[in-house]
Amino acid sequence: MLYRTAGQFKTTYKADQALFPVRQDAVLLAIILLFAWVIFPLTASEFAFQTLLIPIMIYALAALGLNILTGYAGQLSLGTAAFMGVGAYACYKMVTLMPWMNPILAILLSGIFSAGVGVAFGIPSLRIKGFYLAIATLAAQFFLVWLFEKWAWLYNYNASGAIQVPNLDIFGIYVAGPQASSVVQYFVVLGIVTLLTLLCINLTRGNLGRTWKATRDMDIAAELIGINLMKSKLTAFAVSSYVVGVAGALFVFMWRGAAEPNLFDIPLSFRILFIAIIGGLGSILGNYLGAILIVGLPVVLGIVPEALGLPVSSAMVEHLNIMIVGGLIIFFLIIEPHGLARLWALIREKLILWPFPH
Amino acid sequence: MNHFTKWAAAAALATAGSAALAEGLFTPNLSYRTGPFAATGIPLMNGQADYMNMLNARDGGIGGVMIDFEECETGYSTEKGVECYEKTKGKAIVTQPWSTGITLQVLPKTNVDEIPILAPGYGFSPMMDGKTFQWAFNTPAGYWDAADMIVQYLEGQGSLDGKKIAFLHLDHPYGKEPLPLLERMAEEKGFELVPIPVGLKEMQNQSAQWLQIRRERPDYVVMWGWGAMNAGAITEAVKTKFPMENMVGVWWAGHDADLKIVGEDGKGYKSISWSFPNLDAPVVADIKTHVVDAGNSKSNEEEMAGVFYNRGIIISAILAEGIRMAQQEFDTGEIDASQLRWGLENIDMTEARISELGLDGMVPPFKTSCADHTGKSGGWMLEWDGEKFVKVSDHLTPNTEAYEALVAEKAAEYAEANAPWPVNDACEM
Repeated sequence: MLYRTAGQFKTTYKADQALFPVRQDAVLLAIILLFAWVIFPLTASEFAFQTLLIPIMIYALAALGLNILTGYAGQLSLGTAAFMGVGAYACYKMVTLMPWMNPILAILLSGIFSAGVGVAFGIPSLRIKGFYLAIATLAAQFFLVWLFEKWAWLYNYNASGAIQVPNLDIFGIYVAGPQASSVVQYFVVLGIVTLLTLLCINLTRGNLGRTWKATRDMDIAAELIGINLMKSKLTAFAVSSYVVGVAGALFVFMWRGAAEPNLFDIPLSFRILFIAIIGGLGSILGNYLGAILIVGLPVVLGIVPEALGLPVSSAMVEHLNIMIVGGLIIFFLIIEPHGLARLWALIREKLILWPFPH
Repeated sequence: MNHFTKWAAAAALATAGSAALAEGLFTPNLSYRTGPFAATGIPLMNGQADYMNMLNARDGGIGGVMIDFEECETGYSTEKGVECYEKTKGKAIVTQPWSTGITLQVLPKTNVDEIPILAPGYGFSPMMDGKTFQWAFNTPAGYWDAADMIVQYLEGQGSLDGKKIAFLHLDHPYGKEPLPLLERMAEEKGFELVPIPVGLKEMQNQSAQWLQIRRERPDYVVMWGWGAMNAGAITEAVKTKFPMENMVGVWWAGHDADLKIVGEDGKGYKSISWSFPNLDAPVVADIKTHVVDAGNSKSNEEEMAGVFYNRGIIISAILAEGIRMAQQEFDTGEIDASQLRWGLENIDMTEARISELGLDGMVPPFKTSCADHTGKSGGWMLEWDGEKFVKVSDHLTPNTEAYEALVAEKAAEYAEANAPWPVNDACEM
């Protein structure tokens, strides 16, 4: 009923190929965007900004970057966190070497550095694939974290070896650093995430996206029909690492405020891989759903007992939290192995037919 | 089942407690009873909580106001730490971040949120400069004090000129903290410093590091370790037959459980400390009567005899003294965060005051001021006698004049990197 598509005729090819062929999808997205751009900023508390809204978006963006590479182009990567680190350190060096630089520009440019590094580590993908490629990206992970620790120039010879975000402003409004307010940071993150999501949706729908998918589904067949595998794989590495690098810069500059090298170690890579897998490989929406489940849910679960006045100690909540989230991950993967995005697609299909299933 | 009932009982008590204490001074603790560092966290957290519970039960709080000492679990993860900070900062009068990572994260926000950070014996060493770091306290001693006292003690064993000291440290902001000072002292005193980093992934397997130590043949090994690294280093030292009496750790590397693994073989291992377990002190008896016997403690007898549990008590005692000073100055029980800052800046723990609080022999005297947020307590060198830690030195005091310039330089660097960074100009010391 709500999702009835009867009467929505497409009379041109353009209309048929539009981003949202079904009107209800567009309406739903408009509602979500309304919430994200207007209602949340007006109503959210400092706590909600810092522990839910900002991190969910940043993690979703990082997972989106990984999804381009793993979900769309079929190249398994375990080095996501290291590429995030490249973005974060590049951004740090840029704003400290050139303090006059617009911080948002610096964040967007920092992705270029990680794209370069990503392409360099993507070269082995031309010869190896599958688990072997995963090992090659694992090498990137270990090498880069080691580099962040040992190359003192990267953290400006700080004695503690950590990077700390300075106060940065645009036209007198602080956007990064301790003086920045959460709402401003939220809008910066939201703006960049919206922009990059739009870019990725269109990239994956276009020519490039089709070559990626062909490479993923069967690389020999793709080569036979005239797709240049080198170009396809390396562009996937470049675009993916760019998005991941920007997510890394946002991660440190818009949220954490400080970072030490081991932050970008393998647990973060796995966390992002889980978001992408549970959300759904080869989908855009899945990254958001995955991030809500993996990043947002534990925070919400953590405040439930207190809100209800239940007698549970803080350490106990933490134990319960780990169990519940772990259980949910297994549950979702059993009922829908293709991830939350696929689950939503099924629900949507059912809604379109409802109340008259075949 | 037994374990479960214990948990349930503890949980029930926690709520019963917090329900009764809903109106009071909210002093949250960002605890870590879960995760890879839980073994060292639990005794500290228990000591802190038991002391505050004792004050609530014995005196009805501080100055007639109950203390709401709630824990927020971080598992030593910086991410969770920030979550806890955001969750508690609304009504908290103090933040106890409990990890160098979380401290680094929260420190720049203090000037905006105006909540004091209490980081006893950890955090950023230049925090002792109270004029620059108005809201941060690493009372009663910082890492540079520790490094200075360790070198002093080693000098007491004979001149360091021409000696070789290996500095085994965690490759992490925490482990790197004393390096600038040690490098400077190496130059002054003519010893050779060999920094040997231990990566977070190598904590449990330090064979490469100890191979290097065997090759270098240092006269002393100074250790800046935490969590699993300490047990790893101590067992490896025993295995390679490094003379234990030449190994000295910082206060976080002096956990009884780490040395119990090696027992007699660990004899002679030393650790500098600003706290000491005095089981005959009146405060220990009070905790026993009011908290343990009432069934409100999560601790056990073995843990309560250890260095870390007793350090937890001292940490809470410092906070309680800060609250008391603020209450007296502002003549109100319900103090706020900025009043507590004044209190923490005006702690005067004289010998007399220490024994009034029943903490005899558990902490050296110290005195904070608006310019000195550390208080220069100094400490004692503790030694493992095969069963427990004993004091083997007199009261050592750090020679802070020697590195005052370094503190000022690093503090100024920090303030500049975080500009605009308001400093306390009203402080005239």
